[in-house]
Amino acid sequence: MLLAQILLNGLLLGGLYGLMALGMALVWGVLNIVNLAHGAFVMLGGYCVYFLFAGLGVDPFAALPAAMLAMFALGYLLQRYVLNLIIRSAQLNTLLITFGLDVVLTYLAQLAFTADFRTINPSYAGANLTVFGLTLPLLRLAAFVAALLLASLLWIVLQRTRLGRAIRATAQNLTAARLYGVDPARLYAVTFGLGAALAGAAGGLYGMVSQVTPYIGATLTAKSFVIAIMGGLENPFGIVLGGIVIGIIEALAAIYIGPTFTDAISFGLLVVILVARPTRSLRSA
Amino acid sequence: MLRAAILALCVLALAGVPLLGDEVLIQYGIDALLFATLAQAWNILGGFTGYVSFGNSSFYGLGVYGTAIAMAQLHWPFGVGLAVGAALAVGCAVLFGIPILRLRGHYFAIATLGLSATLAAIIANIDIAGKNIGLILPLTRADAAFYEEALLLLIAATATVAWIAKSRFGAALLAIREDEDAALVMGINTTRYKIAALTLSAFFTAIAGGIHAYWITFVDPGGAFDLTLNVRMVIMAMFGGPGTVFGPLLGAFILSAVYDVLASSISTAAALLFGLVIVLAVIFMPRGLWDLAGGFRRSGARYLLQNIRAHRL
Amino acid sequence: MSDIPLLEARALTKRFRGLHAIERVSFVLRRGEMLGLIGPNGAGKTTLVNVISGTLPADSGKLFFEGAPIDHLPPYERAHLGIGRTFQVMKPFPRLTVLENVAVGALFGYHGGEHDLKVAREQARALLDFTGLMHRADQQADQLGGPDRKRLELAKALALKPKLLLLDEVMAGLNPAEIDDVVGVVKKIRDAGTSILVIEHVMRAIRSLSDRIIVLHHGEMLAEGEPNAILGDERVIEAYLGKRRA
Repeated sequence: MLLAQILLNGLLLGGLYGLMALGMALVWGVLNIVNLAHGAFVMLGGYCVYFLFAGLGVDPFAALPAAMLAMFALGYLLQRYVLNLIIRSAQLNTLLITFGLDVVLTYLAQLAFTADFRTINPSYAGANLTVFGLTLPLLRLAAFVAALLLASLLWIVLQRTRLGRAIRATAQNLTAARLYGVDPARLYAVTFGLGAALAGAAGGLYGMVSQVTPYIGATLTAKSFVIAIMGGLENPFGIVLGGIVIGIIEALAAIYIGPTFTDAISFGLLVVILVARPTRSLRSA
Repeated sequence: MLRAAILALCVLALAGVPLLGDEVLIQYGIDALLFATLAQAWNILGGFTGYVSFGNSSFYGLGVYGTAIAMAQLHWPFGVGLAVGAALAVGCAVLFGIPILRLRGHYFAIATLGLSATLAAIIANIDIAGKNIGLILPLTRADAAFYEEALLLLIAATATVAWIAKSRFGAALLAIREDEDAALVMGINTTRYKIAALTLSAFFTAIAGGIHAYWITFVDPGGAFDLTLNVRMVIMAMFGGPGTVFGPLLGAFILSAVYDVLASSISTAAALLFGLVIVLAVIFMPRGLWDLAGGFRRSGARYLLQNIRAHRL
Repeated sequence: MSDIPLLEARALTKRFRGLHAIERVSFVLRRGEMLGLIGPNGAGKTTLVNVISGTLPADSGKLFFEGAPIDHLPPYERAHLGIGRTFQVMKPFPRLTVLENVAVGALFGYHGGEHDLKVAREQARALLDFTGLMHRADQQADQLGGPDRKRLELAKALALKPKLLLLDEVMAGLNPAEIDDVVGVVKKIRDAGTSILVIEHVMRAIRSLSDRIIVLHHGEMLAEGEPNAILGDERVIEAYLGKRRA
């Protein structure tokens, strides 16, 4: 029974991780930018939802769209007016500039919100369902469902809308996409904005199951890396699955090996996967 | 000739700093010199070979712990301790280098980051390494001695980079950086050269770690395998000028100073400013200070805009 | 001794996810020969070059250079043996100078190349002279225009001191005068003792650059023989233009 409970906990958290990683994978796959500030967007999204909830009494799930919109705007502006300026220089430069942005965003958050731990605790936070003798915290379940919904929404957008087609075309071949009328500057900005919006949503959900501080970004960015690589950049469902795998591994490791090892295990796994997998179409490094 | 004279003067000036007797200056100096070595060591793999490592902290940590274990647990002398640290780092470089160097670009960077995070966690659980509590090394008060040792190490690292820049070995590294597939068909055994570059990088990084360990006489996993070290050394090398001989030094000295000055005032605003500096630097001087200096001489302020025009969407 | 062909391919096959890029390709290239390789787009010509140079491993078949099997040799060892190639999509070392680009070949080419930087630079300079790039020696390679890039690609391959040179569509995009220019240069290379495999679309060049021609179509050998015979062969014409309607 205990094992099943652990697996369940891991599953629920993992769905959230998957959503978080989707944002990073989208940006990585389309713009070839590894966004080291990704975790910062998650963090800011968390704060958005927190303040809407704590300040205005808005239900956290209802606040998600607002947070997503805010993060989309931020992401769009950053890509359009900052990242687009350096996008054709060496890959390392995008790593560095997003690192710089991460530092700026983290410390702006610290200045604005202080380092206090914030939790999003709606009235139904303590409610539990009991299924087959397993405890199913209502909030976590809702967060999990929300994560899956958003992931599916992303998939629909990518597969069924004009925007999605434009994004996929740009990911495959920018030059050809341009010939079809895609405006790269705006498309890149929209894509980055989408990634930020997803991150923000994940942040709002994260705040419901854990705490938000200005410093949660770094570990979450790292986790998103691992999941994005495990899942493969082209496959949203693979990424959600990867998130779930990481969630489960973390839950297992925390109980059986000890909490200090969870990061090491994710990273160790990451290295093994990177090295062991067949070199399929790696983006021209 | 003039260049050699200027160089000699700089080295003498640097070596003479401890004579000023300013404790704070000497300590800043040791930090700056060690960081310069880290940046220079990174430069070999990242700047010349084009393999951006975010995991050199692995080698640093191995250098720290090799020295610490040798001195604190086995009571061996400093020199032997350094050798142990270096040996560990080189061993790690060869062992993990072979599989990891098959990756390219972002994937390589992330794999190295993963490696250093994993190593950190493992070391935190080994008995002889003192686990999470850490180790304490024998005390010695010779700050000036550490300064000179750090300077010597930096000179060795820089001399190595200078040799690389002008040698057949270096030509192979540059070819790999510029186009690895073309390098392969032009007769370059890329694996061998990449591992050699990684090994050199690991060696100098580890020695820097060993010196630092003995200097502060206390080591623990968090400090030794500090992942933020990775970013700092990369930024210093990039800020100064990757793929050049003196760029990383410039970057390290300047940014160390910036770090220290800012950190002693309001630390939040300091960090904020630091982040802003990085963002602006990447936009306006993506090739580093060294290139900026040359570019300024050639085309003045237009250099800044040229970069944007060349790299924007 | 000269009976052993320089290059021998036996039933080389390479597939990409079910697509037969090249299928059981066999041929022989003799010392001092200029062998033309033609075929419509997608015939597998560049794949064949990639397999010969070692950039891609073959799925099956055997490859012999000077009588010895080279199937398992990595690209750099094939360069050491004397196989040099140009890339259709040119691959200069962008931030190195033209001279440095060519010097790399001299430093790491035949038998491991030169170990003395000065000697390598001398050889590079001679090649820049030969290919008409001397005036660009100190320019960064990524600043070169199209025709100069081709010259650089050629010079780099020559720097390896190859016994066998694989030329992958060097004439693409050149005007007739430039084509004649390059044809002349290639002939000089052959006269100096290098055997050449020429992949070309430009018929004007192929005629004058081939002692024999082999034709690939859909990855398979379609025909092989004298230039005049091949270029007049019905099947070859069909392969390029499609079936003739009766």
